[in-house]
Amino acid sequence: MQKIKDILKEFSTEYIEDYKKIWIKSKLTTSDSLLSVAKALKEEGLRSLSTVSPTDFPDTDTIEMNYFFEDLQTKRNLWLKCDIPREIEKCEIASLTPLFASANWHEREAFSMFGVRFLNHPDLRPIIASEDFKGKAPFRRDFDWDAHEKDTMIHMKMIVDAFKEEQENNEINLDADSSEMVLNWGPTHPASGPIRLRIHTDGEEIISVDPDIGYVWRALEHLVTKKDFIGAIVAVERLCFMDNINSMVGYSMAVEEIAGTEITPFAKWMRVLLGEVARVSSHVMGLGGFFNNLGLHTLFMWNMDMREFFLDFLESYSGARIATAAIEPGGVRYGLDMTMFDELQKAIEKFDEGIDEVYTIFVQNPTMKMRAKQVGQLSADDIEDFGLSGIVARGSGVKTDIRMDEPYAAYDEVDMEYITQKDGTSYDRFVMLFEELKQSVNIIRQAKKHIEDGVASGAFNPTKDHMVKVPKKLPKGEAISRVEWARGEVLMHLVTQEKSSKPYRLKLRAPSFNHTMMLDHLLKDKTLSDVPLVFGSLYICQGDLDR
Amino acid sequence: MDTLIQAFVFPGLLYILLWTVGLFWFFRKFMAKLHKRVGPHYNGPAGTYQTLFDFSKLLTKESITPHGVNPYLFSMMPLLALITAMLPAAFIPWTEDYPVVVTSYGLLALVVLIGIEPFLLFLTGFGSENKYSFLGGIRVLAQSISMETAFLLSALSPALLFGTMNLTEIVEQSTWLSFLILFPGFVVYFIALLGLLEQPPFNIPDAEQEIVYGFYTEYSGTNYFLLKMAAFAEFMAVFGTATTLFLGGHYGIFFDGYIFFFVKMLMVAIVMMTIRAATPRITLKQMLSFSWRYLVPISLLNVAWVMVAKVFFFGSI
Repeated sequence: MQKIKDILKEFSTEYIEDYKKIWIKSKLTTSDSLLSVAKALKEEGLRSLSTVSPTDFPDTDTIEMNYFFEDLQTKRNLWLKCDIPREIEKCEIASLTPLFASANWHEREAFSMFGVRFLNHPDLRPIIASEDFKGKAPFRRDFDWDAHEKDTMIHMKMIVDAFKEEQENNEINLDADSSEMVLNWGPTHPASGPIRLRIHTDGEEIISVDPDIGYVWRALEHLVTKKDFIGAIVAVERLCFMDNINSMVGYSMAVEEIAGTEITPFAKWMRVLLGEVARVSSHVMGLGGFFNNLGLHTLFMWNMDMREFFLDFLESYSGARIATAAIEPGGVRYGLDMTMFDELQKAIEKFDEGIDEVYTIFVQNPTMKMRAKQVGQLSADDIEDFGLSGIVARGSGVKTDIRMDEPYAAYDEVDMEYITQKDGTSYDRFVMLFEELKQSVNIIRQAKKHIEDGVASGAFNPTKDHMVKVPKKLPKGEAISRVEWARGEVLMHLVTQEKSSKPYRLKLRAPSFNHTMMLDHLLKDKTLSDVPLVFGSLYICQGDLDR
Repeated sequence: MDTLIQAFVFPGLLYILLWTVGLFWFFRKFMAKLHKRVGPHYNGPAGTYQTLFDFSKLLTKESITPHGVNPYLFSMMPLLALITAMLPAAFIPWTEDYPVVVTSYGLLALVVLIGIEPFLLFLTGFGSENKYSFLGGIRVLAQSISMETAFLLSALSPALLFGTMNLTEIVEQSTWLSFLILFPGFVVYFIALLGLLEQPPFNIPDAEQEIVYGFYTEYSGTNYFLLKMAAFAEFMAVFGTATTLFLGGHYGIFFDGYIFFFVKMLMVAIVMMTIRAATPRITLKQMLSFSWRYLVPISLLNVAWVMVAKVFFFGSI
């Protein structure tokens, strides 16, 4: 940590301060020195750039850039800020993509949403936002959404025209003598989900892959600024339906930090419990989806059967099976009726009953091994350079897990270990999912026992302890929070204004964004048959890809 | 009159239609069991009418011919594929009174008719003017070429053993001993059958996660119905050939009859379904290397084994 501070001291900064346990927060006085700071930081070992988050301040006529650097090995992190001018013509800053490969799409996103131009970016095309938002910076505070929505018909025509133009022209530039062609894998495709991969192929051989994303863009980061602090949870949980609890935990932690609220131990344990149930329900779908992509639907069906029992528990607790809205700033939304644990017990028993069969038939499946061990290999260096997280990072042997790196909720009291695999192939990621599933159920058991013991001894009052009051209006401030989501690291950067009842800005950094960036790297020179396999093994959810 | 009944009732159109509906229902119900699902449930006893309704729906739907395709190729091929797939029924000795067409080259006719089918499917993909269909068509071709060698060699082993290509004679001469001698041939035949029928792990030509639905992609309505029915008629042809060549046709345990023929075909279908429920798809490259490195050499060895066994057990060439 001291070394990072020494590096920063060489440049002109407004402040350098410690933030939380493993973060340093600093602000550069000028954006000109950003590139040289970043270079020095990379040499020091902070090789991953988690995300780039611009915040718009029309009053002071600045856009504040936030960079989050991470070192996955030694767990040192840096939150670096700098101001740039707000006028569209002067709104530019040096691109970090040549140094940090992970910055690529994040800078493109900042370009499309805030109109920040990144100098020397190799490929600064708009991303996520549809054709009608081109050149408009929709996330700036003064963007007039009402006026924009009045011209819906014109905008739809723009989108259609852009598609038609692309359809007509995308193969014109190809060499007429070669057999190269452009194949659309998605957005209406049996295995793709709402994403489109433009695959340049020569017969079965892939030449390059260019993902086109944004088909389920809901502008969640903008949506939360229209709601109050509690209402925002329903936008945050829609990051991805498969694991909605942990995203709400992350958001609630950021709000609590700004409000200065400390939640009760009971609520902390409930967050662990619900979060792991959500993780299980996500992982069983991930396991099934992996085999679906190989054309075998049996595991998915078996796992959906298992998942229903975990959803039963979520339903008995919150009344909803998928979009539970069960976590809110100040704790968890509902008190606990101890009979609800009967449902959970049933789910755990169902899991124990079926998991060995899944292992012998599917995890050890020779045909799957034969295919999956050959493709999708990511080295530990790739993981750090591209800022990957979750099962993808751990599948390549990188020990990173926010639950242990920066414990939140009650994870510091949970007994758990880093689970890793060595080779980083698609197969290793599949095994990771399976092993983490068992780990999650183990944590559920621990949390359940802890809560039961606490209630029995009178330490927890399950009907009253679930919530402490958080003021409706928060002071001016900002906070970041990280959670280990089912797919990897979710970083939330929350900014509030004085006495405001709404979030001023919430940046959601979602793992699938980085993972999708890897597709070209992984699929080059492979065959068409490997596309669904590699895509499935990266455990991508289009919900958090587009947000 | 007899000819009419043979053409339209048994083993002709109505029989094949019934078989298609019945087998489709059976596949769905059996797969559902393996998936821990219920499967078709509401229409008819145990959902038996469901496939009937599905087919009548497909028949009444508008048949769309996409812009830019060759309309003759596009609409002719499903019909041709169905007819080609139905023809083998005329050569299979269902009971003592059959086959319909009595010939001493029955086996050759079956092998040729089954072998033509993939080329027709390739042409449907070729005529669809769609990248997925085209890739699917190419895959059908690559797969059938590499599977057909093993298919032909293993299908010929009974002919070598019994010294005849007349299917009735092959059935009449089959014994428990010949079943054991031909068993390696049957295994090779079964694997090649999975490849020819595009069943997992060889469902590469219509791999929906990769190329949507392969050569089926542009088809809908009646044409799709015809193609699906062709696929199921092809199932029958291939299962029926297996039963005739390796499993002793209509001969049963206490009495002989069509019921045993049917049960034997169903047993082949069940094994195929179970493999389908537990094996993921392999890639085109893996299929090619599997076929040419292992399957074809083994089928050649099998021919040698049949010849040796013939000399050893039957004492003549």
